[in-house]
Amino acid sequence: MESNQILKEVNDIFIDVLDNDDIVLTRATTANDIEEWDSLNHIQLVVAIEKKFKQRFTSSAIQSWKNVGEMCDAIASNLV
Amino acid sequence: MQKGQEFNCVFHVTDTVYNGFIAVFKDKNPLHTEDTFAQAKKFDSKVMHGNILNGFLSFFIGECLPIKNVIIQTQEIKFALPVYLNDQLDFHAKIEDVFESVNTYEIKFYFSNANNKKVAKGKIQIGII
Repeated sequence: MESNQILKEVNDIFIDVLDNDDIVLTRATTANDIEEWDSLNHIQLVVAIEKKFKQRFTSSAIQSWKNVGEMCDAIASNLV
Repeated sequence: MQKGQEFNCVFHVTDTVYNGFIAVFKDKNPLHTEDTFAQAKKFDSKVMHGNILNGFLSFFIGECLPIKNVIIQTQEIKFALPVYLNDQLDFHAKIEDVFESVNTYEIKFYFSNANNKKVAKGKIQIGII
């Protein structure tokens, strides 16, 4: 799966979980850029992403992500 | 707790539960309080409030799991059949998925009545705090 496709699917998850149709993620997007992306919703986002891509991450991996791009890179590396 | 682990409980919709629910939440809709009204709608008798089952779910999560440091994150329930006063409900739950990265468990559950019919089912997502 190409990185743009991963970003699109992650974007769809964000729209659904955060209930905000206006979300347009970029690789540089962080929690500071999206009002609804709080700690509780972060859990829902991770759960939804792990389900969607049938992957499991470690807590340390999640905490290391600095932005959406690094999240997508982690997903991509697990798809290989 | 681990994926696949199962739990079973029995709950009774007693007068105390029913009257307590009404006393606290004031939902006296005739479907829940008048046998004649409920029977006119093809039910056997007055139908218990669906959210009484959510009270049982709260008890299960708060008191029946082997750990106490839990919080409900999301919950959904589908009501399939009516529950009546004095019904005994068998409750079954199974840990369907574990998300260790965020200390979260997904639990699927159902309630069944004395006729072994599922009256409600759903899933709860809990977090370890």
